Amino acid sequence: MRCRAWLLAAAWVAPALAAPPDDPLRSPAWPYMAERYFAGQTVRFDAAVRVLMAGAAEDPLAVPVHVDADALADVREILVFADLNPITTILRYEPSELARPAIGFRFKVQQATPLRAAVRTGDGVWHLGGAWLDASGGGCTTPSQASGSGLWKDRFGEIDARLWPRADGWRRLRLQLIHPMDTGLAGGIPAFYLETLDLRDADGRTLAHLQTFEPVAENPLLSFDLGGRGVVSIRGRDTQANRFAGTVAP
Amino acid sequence: MKDEHRRGNPQGAGAWRRFGRFAALAALIGSGAATAAVTDKMIADDATTTDDVVTVGMGQGGQRYSPLTRINTANVGDLVPAWTFSFGDEKQRGQETQPLVYNGKIFVTGSYSRIWALDARTGKRLWAYEQRLPDGIMPCCDVVNRGAALYDDLVIFATLDAKLVALRQDTGKVAWSETLGDYKAGYSNTAAPLIVDGKVITGVSGGEFGIVGRVDARDARTGKLVWTRPTVEGHMGYLNGKENGITGKLNASWPGDMWKYGGAATWLGCTYGGDTKLIYCGTGNPAPWNSHLRPGDNLYSSSTLAINADTGKIVWSYQSTPNDGWDFDGVNEFIPFDFKKDGKTVKAGAKADRNGFFYVLDRSNGKFISASPFVTRQTWTQGIDPKTARPIEADTRPGDPAQAERGKQVFSAPSFLGGKNWMPMAYNANTGLFYVPANEWGMDIWNEPITYKKGAAYLGAGFTIHPLYEDYIGALRAMDPATGKIVWEYKNPAPLWGGVMTTAGNLVFTGTPEGYFKAFDARTGKELWQFQTGSGVVGQPITWEQDGEQYVAVASGWGGAVPLWGGEVAKKIKDISQGGMLWVFKLHRTQLAAQ
Repeated sequence: MRCRAWLLAAAWVAPALAAPPDDPLRSPAWPYMAERYFAGQTVRFDAAVRVLMAGAAEDPLAVPVHVDADALADVREILVFADLNPITTILRYEPSELARPAIGFRFKVQQATPLRAAVRTGDGVWHLGGAWLDASGGGCTTPSQASGSGLWKDRFGEIDARLWPRADGWRRLRLQLIHPMDTGLAGGIPAFYLETLDLRDADGRTLAHLQTFEPVAENPLLSFDLGGRGVVSIRGRDTQANRFAGTVAP
Repeated sequence: MKDEHRRGNPQGAGAWRRFGRFAALAALIGSGAATAAVTDKMIADDATTTDDVVTVGMGQGGQRYSPLTRINTANVGDLVPAWTFSFGDEKQRGQETQPLVYNGKIFVTGSYSRIWALDARTGKRLWAYEQRLPDGIMPCCDVVNRGAALYDDLVIFATLDAKLVALRQDTGKVAWSETLGDYKAGYSNTAAPLIVDGKVITGVSGGEFGIVGRVDARDARTGKLVWTRPTVEGHMGYLNGKENGITGKLNASWPGDMWKYGGAATWLGCTYGGDTKLIYCGTGNPAPWNSHLRPGDNLYSSSTLAINADTGKIVWSYQSTPNDGWDFDGVNEFIPFDFKKDGKTVKAGAKADRNGFFYVLDRSNGKFISASPFVTRQTWTQGIDPKTARPIEADTRPGDPAQAERGKQVFSAPSFLGGKNWMPMAYNANTGLFYVPANEWGMDIWNEPITYKKGAAYLGAGFTIHPLYEDYIGALRAMDPATGKIVWEYKNPAPLWGGVMTTAGNLVFTGTPEGYFKAFDARTGKELWQFQTGSGVVGQPITWEQDGEQYVAVASGWGGAVPLWGGEVAKKIKDISQGGMLWVFKLHRTQLAAQ
């Protein structure tokens, strides 16, 4: 019902714009997501966008996900969001031509929700893939484990990274940053999270730009498939202007 | 809140497409607000402009004087709340902040390194920022913050984990963040930064942990360090990354390597003299408290330093308590002012020291002019020798413990919390008087052996505080700097711990731990108005003009050093409720109509 009412309203306010397509995941929040992220833009549900994850969250504080949009040409941006999380946006990934349009990460889930990857191609069209994730809940409002131990400051900002070649010609970068990634939803603990990450190769060419948000899991563990040449340099910044930097050799 | 903000963008984009012309107009207005910037001139003129408050101290000199007269002795009784703002959370501790007012916004800091931007007309919260503090922070004297600084489109404040954080005034997004010291070694920061000619000037806290005091100047737009000046002799200063000479002369007034952890923390920040181009910074106690471990004057502890704003060199210094053995500090604010003597204008500065003396010095060269007691008892001294400008010490230093567990205990007044502590006094050019928030208390103090250990308290002393009088501890005193005489006083049962402000409306404002925000006649001391704010007032009041009305604001929220260190004083304060609130007042409308 809610869905239909919204469609009518949209048709009345902006007759020139196409209404968003029906949601194959039948999410109660889809109309709001469509308005929040894609107002006035073209959206298409597309099997070419693959979201790989378990059907149920074994650990709501860190659900591993892999998004792969390699079947699409000219990918400019990958937006990942969870309809029913209290903070819906998880990350925005902008791979250059020197990176495969795919990313691996872990995120915090608050309750059962659709998880979606929206992939924007050069023609401005958003291609959406996604799946339901079942969850027992609480991932976003639980204090980070680092907050419980009080020791997070001792290793704060450390980066572990590995870079190795894959059979498909891409170089896989897996990195982990020690950061509590506090959502601000746990009592008495302010929001405090990694905001941006930039990857460059030995020639200083931009490989990829990543924006991360509160729901990315504590001590972010991220996987990229990169081209470029030689040492990869990693630069990050969090919401309190702490800066992180490192390099990883092949 | 963040998510709501993001949600707004795509909607906004949609609206623009539909109402193109209107959107263009809105964008113009919006960009006008976004480019509003606080300039060096606005900061230099803050003491005389009435429609904003862009500096803590209501001017770089910290006189805390407003030329506004709309609220005055005749109508202050009609002051009523306009709006309030609760800092929220469970983090209700001492609120020693001073709000800033600029561009329709109020910027106010709170306990636990929090800051908010509010709509100055409605009190609506525009944004909030809270520093993610590690568990190991070591502030000695409550988790307070004493206000922010404005420069360009930034609002800059220091945090309990010794960071300096600059946020965009419009969004609260962090522009830059710099580390002032290692919080694990005891560094922290609670003072408001000072802006001087595009540089942000800060000190450090941590004198109880054997840190080394320092004054830093950074590019206010980027946070890049310009110069740094240590306050303990033997330590190297730097200018633009190059060595800039050591402070003082190695081992001139410190024995052995005691200077390495010599304290002299600049924990209350600095003031500035626009005419002398000097930054005036008070320095704290030498470390450790046990003075028998460091015979000598221990320069430049317990002093006022005048530092050249461009070069970071010390131009003059005045030490109020040589070889401080009572934790008197010398950190209190030095306020430039002029007065007439024998028909001549004297370019002076005044400081009400923790040791109980009200000092007047020549602000251009530090030359001693006078020192007058502003408290009733000073056991530690027989007065100042006018020839040497040094105190004549009475034989009341706590005994040397040598290798014993503890040395001879003595009674000393003032106590280590001082005749006056951090809370800033105010100067009214119309009355020619300083208004000093003083306290009457003493202490039993004894010394113990101590060695330096990183991150551990470095005192070598024990103490308990005793009120000197049954009926009052706090005393707001009007001092005539020309004569050193106390012109009037207001006695308060609990210790005074809040800042003072005075106006051309012949008024003096301050708060009390009992929760009252009060106004006095600046000439007579007659109490004219009070308002119960619900928690102890230890904040710094301000006033400004907006939409043709004069406003007065102060933060309420009990805390600070007294409840943590207060000894027997606790009896007077144990029943005070915690809080965290900004109160904004203006005249009742019927009174406005009568004007």
